[in-house]
Amino acid sequence: MKKLLLICSLPLILLGCKKTLLDTTPYDALASETMWTSDNLTDLGVTGIYNALRLGQNTGGASGLEIYQYDRFSFTGQTRDAEALLQGTITPGNGLFSSNWQNFYEGIVRANDAITNIPLKSPSSAVKKGKLIAEAKFLRAYYYFRLNQVFKGVPIYLAPFKIEEATKPRDTEQAVWDQVIKDLTDCINEPNLPNKYTKGNPGFGRVTKSAAYALRGKVYMYTQKWTEAVADFAKVKELGHSLFANYTLLFKEANEQSDEMIFSIQNTGVVNLGSTTQFFCGTRASFGSCWNTYLVSPNLVDLFENADGTKFNWETIIPGYSAMTPIARQVYFLRDGLTATERTAAAARGADMTKYLAVGNEARISKAWTGRDSRLAANVITPYGNYNGVLGAGNQTVTSRFPYRTINSPTFDLQTDTQTFFYYLHRKFVAEGNAETLNRAYGPIDLPLIRYADVLLMWAEALVELNNLPEAILKVNEVRARAGMPALQQTDPTKGTYVSNQSNLRDRVRDERRVEFPNEGINYFDELRWNTWKNTVFQAGNGSRQVWGANVNTYTYGGDYLNAWAIPQVEIERNPNLKQNPGWPN
Amino acid sequence: MMRIMAVFLLLSVMPTLLLAQNRKISGTVTDENGKPVPEVSITIKSKSNGTKTDDAGRFTIDAQTGQTLVINSINHEVIELMVGEGNTVNAALKAKVNNLNDVVVVGYATQKKVNMTGSVATISAKQIEDRPVTNLSSSLAGLSSGVYVRQGSGQPGSDGASILIRGTGTLSSNAPLVVIDGIIGSMDAVNPLDVETISVLKDAASASIYGSLAANGVILITTKKGQRNKTTVTYNGIFSTTNPMNMPKYNSNYSRHMQMINEGTTNIGQPSIFAASTIRAWDSTSLIPDQLNAIGVPNRIAYPNTDWGDALFDNKVVQNHNISINGGSDKVNYLLSVGYLDNKGVMQNTGTKRYQIRANLDARVAKWLTMGTQTFASTQTYDMGNTASAFNFLGQTTPGVVPTYDGKYGFPHAQEESSTANAILAFLNNTAGSDRQSRFNTTLYAILNLYKGLTLESRFNYQIRFGEYNSHSVPQERWNFATNEVKTFPGDPSTFSTYYSFDKATQTTIDNVLRYTTKIGSDHDISALAGYNQMYSNSYNFNASKQGLIDYSITTLGSALLPTTTNGGESDFAMRSWFGRVNYAFRNKYLLEANLRYDGSSRFSPNTRWGLFPSVSAGWRIIDEKFMEGTKSWLSNLKIRGSWGKLGNNASGVYDWQSTYSTRLYSFNNVQSSGLAVGRIANPELQWETTTTTNFGLDGAILNNKLFFEFDLYQRLTDGILSTVPVPLTVGTASSPIVNAAEVKNNGYEITLGYRGKSGEFNYRVSGNYAYNTNEVTKYKGQLVEGYVTDATGAQVYQSNIGLVSAGGTNRILEGKKINEFRIYEVYKGSGTYNNADGTVNINGGPRDGMIRTPEDLAWAQAMITAGYRLLPSNAIRNNAIYYGDLIYADLNGDGQYGNSFDQKFTGTSTLPKYIFGFNAELSWKSFDLSMVWAGAAGFQYYWNDTYINSTVRNGFAFSNTVLDNHYFYNPLDAKDPRNNINAKYTRLKSSDPQNTALASDWWMQNGSWIKLKNLQIGYNIPEKLAKKMMMSRARVYVSGENLLMITKYPGLDPEIGAGIGYPTMRQYALGINVNF
Repeated sequence: MKKLLLICSLPLILLGCKKTLLDTTPYDALASETMWTSDNLTDLGVTGIYNALRLGQNTGGASGLEIYQYDRFSFTGQTRDAEALLQGTITPGNGLFSSNWQNFYEGIVRANDAITNIPLKSPSSAVKKGKLIAEAKFLRAYYYFRLNQVFKGVPIYLAPFKIEEATKPRDTEQAVWDQVIKDLTDCINEPNLPNKYTKGNPGFGRVTKSAAYALRGKVYMYTQKWTEAVADFAKVKELGHSLFANYTLLFKEANEQSDEMIFSIQNTGVVNLGSTTQFFCGTRASFGSCWNTYLVSPNLVDLFENADGTKFNWETIIPGYSAMTPIARQVYFLRDGLTATERTAAAARGADMTKYLAVGNEARISKAWTGRDSRLAANVITPYGNYNGVLGAGNQTVTSRFPYRTINSPTFDLQTDTQTFFYYLHRKFVAEGNAETLNRAYGPIDLPLIRYADVLLMWAEALVELNNLPEAILKVNEVRARAGMPALQQTDPTKGTYVSNQSNLRDRVRDERRVEFPNEGINYFDELRWNTWKNTVFQAGNGSRQVWGANVNTYTYGGDYLNAWAIPQVEIERNPNLKQNPGWPN
Repeated sequence: MMRIMAVFLLLSVMPTLLLAQNRKISGTVTDENGKPVPEVSITIKSKSNGTKTDDAGRFTIDAQTGQTLVINSINHEVIELMVGEGNTVNAALKAKVNNLNDVVVVGYATQKKVNMTGSVATISAKQIEDRPVTNLSSSLAGLSSGVYVRQGSGQPGSDGASILIRGTGTLSSNAPLVVIDGIIGSMDAVNPLDVETISVLKDAASASIYGSLAANGVILITTKKGQRNKTTVTYNGIFSTTNPMNMPKYNSNYSRHMQMINEGTTNIGQPSIFAASTIRAWDSTSLIPDQLNAIGVPNRIAYPNTDWGDALFDNKVVQNHNISINGGSDKVNYLLSVGYLDNKGVMQNTGTKRYQIRANLDARVAKWLTMGTQTFASTQTYDMGNTASAFNFLGQTTPGVVPTYDGKYGFPHAQEESSTANAILAFLNNTAGSDRQSRFNTTLYAILNLYKGLTLESRFNYQIRFGEYNSHSVPQERWNFATNEVKTFPGDPSTFSTYYSFDKATQTTIDNVLRYTTKIGSDHDISALAGYNQMYSNSYNFNASKQGLIDYSITTLGSALLPTTTNGGESDFAMRSWFGRVNYAFRNKYLLEANLRYDGSSRFSPNTRWGLFPSVSAGWRIIDEKFMEGTKSWLSNLKIRGSWGKLGNNASGVYDWQSTYSTRLYSFNNVQSSGLAVGRIANPELQWETTTTTNFGLDGAILNNKLFFEFDLYQRLTDGILSTVPVPLTVGTASSPIVNAAEVKNNGYEITLGYRGKSGEFNYRVSGNYAYNTNEVTKYKGQLVEGYVTDATGAQVYQSNIGLVSAGGTNRILEGKKINEFRIYEVYKGSGTYNNADGTVNINGGPRDGMIRTPEDLAWAQAMITAGYRLLPSNAIRNNAIYYGDLIYADLNGDGQYGNSFDQKFTGTSTLPKYIFGFNAELSWKSFDLSMVWAGAAGFQYYWNDTYINSTVRNGFAFSNTVLDNHYFYNPLDAKDPRNNINAKYTRLKSSDPQNTALASDWWMQNGSWIKLKNLQIGYNIPEKLAKKMMMSRARVYVSGENLLMITKYPGLDPEIGAGIGYPTMRQYALGINVNF
């Protein structure tokens, strides 16, 4: 019996006496007390702040929160779907506001954690700590910059805080700019922060002094401190940045670390670490069968100058074009050799079929896109333009035609998600053939947040405001020269490149920015900064458009309150100290 | 074995041989239906000798004339018969009505039903057997009061029902604890045919022995044991045909589809999408569907009009086979069973197969020691059809796509059709590989008889569940059959990926229970138990995928090229508990019970992890009182019960009290780099959620136990509810901390009423149950304060703190409201008088049902805007803002803005039923029997608004017939336009929705109440003689049907599934056979 008792109690003895049974800890995460206490953890914590640059990225469908996707609100881009902001129906409850608010504050919370705790806890060398804290400050400045660009005054938190302490009222727009400049100035003054990383350096993608100068210069543009901006832009040049020689190739993976790139979101062809531009800007003819969610606006296409520097004018291509209704103009964009059914259908859609040429219709319209600024072809797939796409497993050159027939032999038409509509399509950041990306959801190309052309054109802009036109023209001309465009000048009034006065040059610099940065998430914020958004985006009859100018969705200007985003409704409910921007309905 | 029996018989018979007057008396014992009853004990009154009936109900005993035979069978009333002059005594037994000796399984023990003081519902094997259901949980619907069984999906392998006992008491997990033969487990793991009884512990007194695990009630499952000295082999086979109980109904007329898409775009001023010529092509070809086109393809394929509901669902067959062997000797008894299920589902490639085995063994090793095991294992495979995608995209296709033809998937032929119009069947067949889940669960136990009435039971259980998953894409082509063209290519193997995943969960439990029972004098029954339990569970998973196959068919990880993802994780959880119980009964009239449990959980910090959970209960059997003598003629039973107790719930995440940094990746110079950031904000003060339940019960029976009833009234208060609360967005994206945030009160009552009767050879038993339950959040983040305040400039502004005190969206948590009560906009309702007497616009004079239907309605809306009111969100009259066929929202707070965020109101309803009910009936006549089970729920609403039903039109998306047949249209330029339909129920078709018809408003609320005939069964017992000829001791054939009938007003797919469209539940018609050898 004793033996049996022993056997019975054996499991109890083996398993029952573990004193620490209830003391379990997570297997996949680090307890907070341990954080920042080793050199390695210090590195990891700072990398976590960089990771916040990726917040809002969604690989299941376009989030609308990635920087390039803001081109949908701009003068130069559009999306195929109706946008509440552009319909004038947006309310403070819209996820656009809450998601941006939350994501950028998350970046700030991470940076605050590092800036406060590295000096207190980290055993890393002083040199390293200095550099990492400077990086954290830059990123905090960047996140506040993004918030302030749109919300125009947000609460400033500079140290870790508890949930119940998230009750601050908004600081003024100017106070936030001051804080951003203070953080960036600290970076610039940090002796251990590198000026610039050269191509292939393991640190490439981290914060540099040149990035701090460039961003601070941009903030000075917002605060209209032109002289300070000019000084900072000059420093960027001094630290070794320059234009890359070829505009088209600049946006290929091989050149993502060229001297033009000052600070970019680092993309690698790995799940959750890559770019989504292929997915949401490509087409069904692109590798991975993509969605043309984001599109090029005809406004941009018309803005590209002729190669000789004169303004593009439809009348020189097709006399009488401007007087026709956009729907009737459709006829010029039809493919050659329409079938009888296609003709009937086109006529039913309102095309003026008397103008149709069974042979030569394509050639006639194609003249509109030849002899233009080289950046048109680099950015846009125009009608009857080719695209090196993918068919099945193999590469296939396809052509954008209307009406679409088939992606297969014999015509190899470019297939979109929107084949009943005819749109200008993005070429920039969309892979050619099947070898440039592994997967549509994670492309390898870095996405520039600030590149040297941006610096040059802001530099020019600041010089214009200082009424130093000759210097300003030199800066613009650097960018134009790279695109093969003739230089602006003040000597020959007969030429299209003639700059008549300060106001004329201001407009030209703005147009230069519009044609230089499509699909880079710059124009919407520029238009807001220039206070031109209403006049450009909501000019009479504007909307998301097909190539002939007919609206698919017509825009409606809700009111001037749209120039400052709504403080998220839910955040005001949770923190009543926050006051809404004026004019917003609930 | 025979030898042992012979010796035993000899020994028992020998002493009686000495008495000369004794003679052999033999007979047969039968039941009410004339069927022989085996294993009935026959004794001679006040003597020790006795015998038992054999399988044919026969017995032989030595007795004298004038002695009394006592015939005692567990399930029947005891009969006493005088031995007369003859040598034959036959007895007809009568089944016990409301059996007072019924034993109910309760936590760690069994109790006589008469002595129960808590609230426990029982379900016997008979109530769930011979049903073609594929899992145990879904067979419980309608069988016991206060238990809401809801089958949310009919997908094979995922069709287990969710069970709610007495409604929803908390914001965290509401799942009841499932205990199988004393060990915590999963109901899905149990073969329904192995079940002996199920007890549902509903109140705190009966459940508190399980302390912190029991706040949502406990379901105790006991499996069958072997029977001594008898071997039975049982075969149970069911074949059933299945078809979906309901199907989504989409428009299948493509010409009409195209016209409607055009209507949707032209309604808001956009160009038509489909050319008239395309529409005509379908109109003309649909008249001659079998005519071949130029390349020899029939029109019905070249110009399809596909009914996707029809294309997606098939009738299939479910097979269910079980064999069990049941037997034993004096010292050992056993049950072995094997089960096989093959459920093909009602959609392609969505079936499941399951194999289950069980061995229950019990051995009396010594007088003082019994040892045994309950061991079972199962493995289940699942087909790879991607139903999630299929349902997701079911709305994203059109009748213009052929499902399959010639083994190939279709692609739209109409030039204008969206190329993303999906081939839905492709989703069901685009993944290959294998998914398998296996379980192994074993308990070893020993029971020591230490002293008279004192036993120690020690149990050790180990269970493991592991899943092995492998998937890879199948190359698919999509064709335009009209032109015989490949439109979508399969892609190169180098772009294909393969994915492997493995997960494993283990649980180890040790249980030691000391039990003592004694009787002091004849009046005092005392029993007590004390126990210790500890449990540790651990789970981990690993998965990896690689891209770049050398061939479509070569899919191992090793053969693929590029690693894309590698992931894995692990977590664990432990508990340690002490518990005890005392029962005391005085003269079996006054009953008392007390329980105590002390639990420690690894989910809380060392300072807060221990919790004490007590309960007391009492019962009074009034019927046995002297003063009740006078009622005996009609009242057969009356008992009142009362209980109070506390239960806990630790349903937080396993490490929620600890703050942690989680991995956040980034890359520098194209090299991946690890980063860390706070993943979850900690709450070290986290502690137990506590549920306090008070229960009052009344049991009774009248008319000689023919009519019986049970009534329970309860209140349940849960405080310290584990929940996340809304935190400001400024805090960032880290998960909100879990806090002990809320308090919820539940009130309810339950009634069970039954009647049992007999008329000649016709026997029947009917019983119904009904339960009412309602909940209220009594504490959360504070009171809702809404209203006008004067701001700094002196202006009146409307303010609300709803974002602070309430969480959720359309369904919200707020003090004073139901859990997840709806908060929605209200559609404007006016008088239709438009103007005031002075000609100004009357704000209460707008359209009667909120929809702009007439030019007068539209003029009123324009006048409102002109007068400065804002009709949100569009606030403008034109065809792409507010127009004919749009909705106007009500201005509830009177700020002149119609439909801003302050114009949402609470509805007083949620998706949780207030009333649940069941009805079951059993009838038998001679060899035939019939039974049925009804279940239902009422008093709840669904917000039903998805692409299936709303009026937003998108090229490439489907139309519901519901909307098409009854949608608004008005052509202001042509009052005679045949399309005009200004009295329609649904709003106008729009390709975008500026006035936001899809807003969560009362326009979309639907009553979800339903009643279903869950099961109907008709059986026939093959006559014994015939059965014997076929070497069977008993055989029954039956037809059985599941989900035969649904009564509901809900217009969607199935209110039991939920508001959306999901895998339909199956309607089954089964033929079954049940054979004993």
